[in-house]
Amino acid sequence: MKPEMWRKGSSEGSDRFEYLQTLVTEFQDTDSEEAKEQVLANLANFAYDPKNMEYLRELQVPDLFLDMLTEENDNFVEFGMGGLCNLSMDPECRDIILQSNGISLVTNCLSSQREETVLSAITTLMNLTAPSSRSEIAVPAILQCMLRFSLSESPRLRNLAAVFLQDCCTEEQVARAEQQMQGQQTAVGIPLPKD
Amino acid sequence: MAAPGNNSLGCWGVPDVYKHHEQRKICISRPKYREGRKEKAVKVYTINLESRYLMVQGVPAIGLMTELIQLCALYGAVEEYRPLDEYPAEEFTEVYLVKFQKLTSARAAKRRMDEKSFYGGVLHVCYVPEYETVEDTRLKLQDRRRYIIRTVQNKEREREQKEAVNEEPISSDTATTSETVIARHNKASDNNNTVKTSNISHYSGFPLLPLPPQEHHYYRHRNQHGTIPTEDKMGTLHNAIIDTKQEQAQVHKSSSSSQTSSDRDRGTEHRLISNQSSAAVRLVPRTTHLENRKRKMEEAAEHSLTDVTRNNEPLIGPKLPEPPKLDMEDVSLNTTVSLIRNTMKQVELVPDLKPVEKKTKPRRRI
Repeated sequence: MKPEMWRKGSSEGSDRFEYLQTLVTEFQDTDSEEAKEQVLANLANFAYDPKNMEYLRELQVPDLFLDMLTEENDNFVEFGMGGLCNLSMDPECRDIILQSNGISLVTNCLSSQREETVLSAITTLMNLTAPSSRSEIAVPAILQCMLRFSLSESPRLRNLAAVFLQDCCTEEQVARAEQQMQGQQTAVGIPLPKD
Repeated sequence: MAAPGNNSLGCWGVPDVYKHHEQRKICISRPKYREGRKEKAVKVYTINLESRYLMVQGVPAIGLMTELIQLCALYGAVEEYRPLDEYPAEEFTEVYLVKFQKLTSARAAKRRMDEKSFYGGVLHVCYVPEYETVEDTRLKLQDRRRYIIRTVQNKEREREQKEAVNEEPISSDTATTSETVIARHNKASDNNNTVKTSNISHYSGFPLLPLPPQEHHYYRHRNQHGTIPTEDKMGTLHNAIIDTKQEQAQVHKSSSSSQTSSDRDRGTEHRLISNQSSAAVRLVPRTTHLENRKRKMEEAAEHSLTDVTRNNEPLIGPKLPEPPKLDMEDVSLNTTVSLIRNTMKQVELVPDLKPVEKKTKPRRRI
């Protein structure tokens, strides 16, 4: 394959690739929950650096992160979601996540009890918004969720939900979601994520 | 979420204590290969956690606001700051909120100041994104996305260049050079994480253009003054300090139309378009080429003999200012001066070599 060819040229790149590969292997082989958490956090942090995007894609780390979203362990979910938040900034990773049915998995994380997980999920959904995926993301259920978040006591959650509502859908869509919400419930007693 | 909010007060209202302000316990169970240089907690960093707003805890309460802000300003322009009197602080310490102009500055300040001692106290520095406005948050995300796309595109270009070279083994030198060029580019873009839209073209997918010939003579001179790195002149000129002559030359090269250099914006547009169309050429300017070859030699030398190479240091790259050479206005005196100087250099070299030997020995035992 082509990536092989050019990677051989730069030893720094191939070192990095091998290191990431070691991490993925350890993650898959270890039985220790603690080690898994550490490696997952490592990988998620490596996803922050765009120089690693290509290696992580090759190692199918986007799918690894997506797998974590349905785990019982809340740390797994938080770190996996954080990793996806970092990866989804890259358009190619975005497409991979979209192809792997990422939207529904990420949307489920909006109900997490952990604020950090919810924040990562919102940012990821924003990153996943592309012309092809817009119709799947700007759906009433998600918009209503964002409307509730925009009333949250947490400024970070409030801000991020506000950005989502302003940037990822039309004003009419928001208005429609608001109307639908009025029939269902008032602003009092909204379930909010807590830490 | 820890405490009820004070929504109505806006971003400079009474602060809440959030969990992400806490310093987490460091992780001590990592295997050797995953150990970093610094002990750290198990935590995932995302753009949501970062912010141009920093909170500095643990500042000794002895009126150090000016000193603290001066320290912060070392890492970039500080836009606003104030003491957070309402925030729960340890006894005899104060808490400050500092808003930097750029996220990269806040990042550098956090990295350098956190856990450092400051007038007898130990600072704890953390991001406080809850002080952001909606617009702050939006811009932060936009900048981040742009930065990622830029960097990924640069890497892509680097690969294409390498592939092109693999087909033509004769010019294999060009490949390694362009690689380092882009690596430097990435560094530069890293530092400018928060640059606005107008600067995008600065880093994104345009091939490097050769410099016009007149540049060749002035390059070394210019670089010593630290004005413009060559690469920056390749993709865009509108961002760098503009040499009118050069711009004209480039405009003429790229478009046959008779542009006046005063019509700068249109000129830039033209250039960008034609750059894209000439993507197959992928020329690397000869000056950059030579510079990089020298740098590589320098690096290689550094790896093999760390201290001994001091004498035959290459001439390029940023260096500490050398002490001015004295001119004694007399040949004989000058000879004496240089003799003394050389002797001093040799004397300096001796103690430097010893610790290197000492260091290597215990490693072998392990």
